[in-house]
Amino acid sequence: MSLHGRRPPRVYYRFLLVILALLGVSVTRPSVAGAQIELTVYAAMVKGPPDAPVTIIEFSDYQ
Amino acid sequence: MKEYDGRVRLVFKDRPLPIHTLARGAHEAARCAAAAGKYWPYHDLLFEAQPAFRRDDLLRYATELGLDAADFTRCLDERRYAAQVEADVVQAQALGINGTPTFLINGRKVVGGLPLEELRALVEDALKARR
Repeated sequence: MSLHGRRPPRVYYRFLLVILALLGVSVTRPSVAGAQIELTVYAAMVKGPPDAPVTIIEFSDYQ
Repeated sequence: MKEYDGRVRLVFKDRPLPIHTLARGAHEAARCAAAAGKYWPYHDLLFEAQPAFRRDDLLRYATELGLDAADFTRCLDERRYAAQVEADVVQAQALGINGTPTFLINGRKVVGGLPLEELRALVEDALKARR
């Protein structure tokens, strides 16, 4: 709690991550060319274990 | 994936290109299938069936997989997952991903369809780097 009785943004952020996890959504932050972007990951669209040493993120177009 | 069982995690992200006018609907339909627990079978069916992605096609594929036709139709017509597909597109753009397929292999960007051998070599490199 801050001095003004409001929770710091990090608390809300963690709360949001918990809610997303319950919905089968997680967040990953790949580093591409030094830039880090937050990516949402839907459990249904993932194959393989979360602790795998290699993660392949495929951006694809069905057509 | 079987070859690298337990060592590789594959995450699929939607990146429908604007020039492919029927693609976005197909991506949204795949998410409707995901909600019904049939994401990967529907995904595979879409790749086999491309570019037949008109509404009737998308509904027929769902029926072929035994999905509830009424639920799936509602999901597709309401465009229930349009925002999620758009979020993937925005994330791709933020990463400078404008062509498909594009892979991030432990963060290493690889653009374009690769022969299996090349993809395997990149995965092996990534595995070695983690040892």
